[in-house]
Amino acid sequence: MQAYQPVRLRAAGGTGITRPLLGGLLFLWILLPLVPLILWSVAAEWRAPDVLPGAFSTDGLAALLRPEVLTATGASLVLGLSVALPATVLGALAAFAIRRLPNGWARGVEMILLAPLAIPPFALVMGSNVLLLGARVPAFPSVVLVLTVTALPYTVFMFRAALASYDDQFEEVARTLGASSRAVLARVRIPLLARATARAAFLAFLVGWSDYITTLLVGGGQLLTLPLVLGSAASATGNEQLTAALSLAMIVPPLLLLALLAVPGPRRRR
Amino acid sequence: MAPRARALLIAAPAVLPVALVLTGALVAALLQSLGLLPIIGEPEFSTAAWDADGELLLATGISVYIAAASTVLSVVVGFLIAAYVLTSGVSSRVLAVLSAASVPIPHLVAAGAMGLLLSDAGFLARVFGMPSGFPGLVGGRGWGAAILEFGWKESAFVALVLVGSMARSAGGLCEAAATLGASAKQRMLHVLLPLALPALGVSALVVFVYTLGSYEAPWLLGPVSPEPLPVRAVRLFGSIDLTARPEAMATALASVVVGLAAIGAGLLLLRRVRGWR
Repeated sequence: MQAYQPVRLRAAGGTGITRPLLGGLLFLWILLPLVPLILWSVAAEWRAPDVLPGAFSTDGLAALLRPEVLTATGASLVLGLSVALPATVLGALAAFAIRRLPNGWARGVEMILLAPLAIPPFALVMGSNVLLLGARVPAFPSVVLVLTVTALPYTVFMFRAALASYDDQFEEVARTLGASSRAVLARVRIPLLARATARAAFLAFLVGWSDYITTLLVGGGQLLTLPLVLGSAASATGNEQLTAALSLAMIVPPLLLLALLAVPGPRRRR
Repeated sequence: MAPRARALLIAAPAVLPVALVLTGALVAALLQSLGLLPIIGEPEFSTAAWDADGELLLATGISVYIAAASTVLSVVVGFLIAAYVLTSGVSSRVLAVLSAASVPIPHLVAAGAMGLLLSDAGFLARVFGMPSGFPGLVGGRGWGAAILEFGWKESAFVALVLVGSMARSAGGLCEAAATLGASAKQRMLHVLLPLALPALGVSALVVFVYTLGSYEAPWLLGPVSPEPLPVRAVRLFGSIDLTARPEAMATALASVVVGLAAIGAGLLLLRRVRGWR
């Protein structure tokens, strides 16, 4: 997020209660859905009229260590990384290329790369499924291909935004000073675009990490990721504990990554 | 090599897979919906999948209703969050962080959480002492829980976009308006709202198209029947009855058509909004 300067203002004659009330409601709006999730993840027994669980236990969270859940977590991690790598690299290349193309061409390329945003993922998956089956592409690469296509608009957009304020003169100066093109890439371009790269990779990782519908339809049950385990737990009744624990397992890793991204980089230049 | 050809070559590894998957998927879906690409048997042209007892139209209507209601909710709450974040003190920073942190939460998780919160014996009903008049949000015909789930997730997205787009200008303009004697409400309606309008329009369009094609929340939180487009398409796609395949494809394509129509109409409308270039 960009830095902004909040200003505290008190309007003449304004009511003093509106702002705290609005603030309270907004905090409630954001936090309330997470309360039952957290309570259920540590509840042993929580019968209907009780507002709070009668007893607590770590059974729900312990279920996350079951072999099948661990395997699914591993599969989700691998899927997230397998989408993040090509989507970030190809997104960066495409963004650089768009910058060098004349206007009309740049627009065309950008339109194609943003087009997946306009197509509902399930429609994309259903249509491509018959082609991928026909071409005998195995389940995992098929899922990675479709999800990379889904993730590319985000990574291209991130790099386009970063390149808008990127100054080519840094590279020119480095070259004038005798740096090889490899050195320019490693010492100038990559450090300058490190934050944008991290953000783009994070978004692309999320596409793979949290995908449900593509894995379900293309994977055809062969590929069992964390969202698929969560989906089957959440759609059955009486699985509140497991649903809550699996939900937390899905939220926590991306939030940790996000916190890492929010920490100011240590390599800030003078 | 000419610079243009070189640039196109660099873009090609990204452009080709996108173009191939997109056109391949749409063409294959269209052919399948018309019976021209059957899994088994001979291809036979038929438009039966496109007018199956008005079911497709009903599903489209439900999807448009859910997407429209979710968009309105997200835009209103998202604007309130952004306005609060942009104009007050410490608590606004905490709200900004919490709101931004909820953006990466997957819709599947949010849908599960809304189920635990809003079902008949859910957390909210328990807090209110299980009243008999508790609205049937989960599984009800109004798709209330699904709309709240979309509103919850997407309002955080809208707020993020708005804060990003207004951060530089909002502070100074609000200060100036306050100096001239504008009340908090006046600043919100006459300074922040017009300032937010272009970004609000774009994010509304993104939310509408996204919620139109989103499967998880209506599937987990909606009634068994009738179904919106994504739920109907996925059910038919997974059906053992292979004759359901053309209908699944027609349903998927209907969502593509509605989405593209919304984008076209939205862009036309946005051009008319003042301040939009």
